Amino acid sequence: MKQDYFSSNNIKFIDYKDIEILKKFINPNGKIMNHKRTGVTSKNQRSLEEAIKRARFMGLLPFVAR
Amino acid sequence: MEEKNIDVEVAEPRVYEVGYLLSNAIEEAEVPVEYGNLKDFVASFGGVIISDEMPKKIDLAYTIEKVIKNIKHKFDSAYFGWIKFEMTPEKVLELKKKLDLDIKIVRFIIIKTVRENTLAVKKFVRSDIKRHTPKLRAEGEEAPEINKEEIDKEIDAMVEV
Repeated sequence: MKQDYFSSNNIKFIDYKDIEILKKFINPNGKIMNHKRTGVTSKNQRSLEEAIKRARFMGLLPFVAR
Repeated sequence: MEEKNIDVEVAEPRVYEVGYLLSNAIEEAEVPVEYGNLKDFVASFGGVIISDEMPKKIDLAYTIEKVIKNIKHKFDSAYFGWIKFEMTPEKVLELKKKLDLDIKIVRFIIIKTVRENTLAVKKFVRSDIKRHTPKLRAEGEEAPEINKEEIDKEIDAMVEV
């Protein structure tokens, strides 16, 4: 993933409920991937981070897996 | 004089969203009732509901613990739903305090959001879609005449549906 996933798919607001999308950006242990790996712009990486943390709080995504 | 100005200034409503997990102790049939109650509850604080979703039973990614009336409860599944609404910032604080007291809600989150639908639409990627290419007409063949009125009627009929 070299290009920014969110701008190429025209996603302006990263929603914490969209776990199918968020799952793409966590590794098998449940950690958030590095922006170098995801290719997401800094701005979107910050909101992605926020969204994943919200999803974790609501029990939609794991804090740790395995 | 300055104080007066502050009083006059009324905070403008903005868009919030509350996501909540309802306890799995509630029976399946009771969920729509709770959902209706929550919507009324938000509306009672002057909230204008923009969109929402029925609580659905989900398996939680981890076990959530909550102490209700001095007893620790563990939840492996819950009903997750959300309501998007417009409200003034002061009222939202009150809403939060009231939701904290609700024992049927395992957990909730209030976030600032945007009015537009934020859930990305799933794309259907199909490789077998054939591109429509207009056929070339043989020489001498004329295009069939188009009756404007008929087309207008057809379009109207489509729009009505």
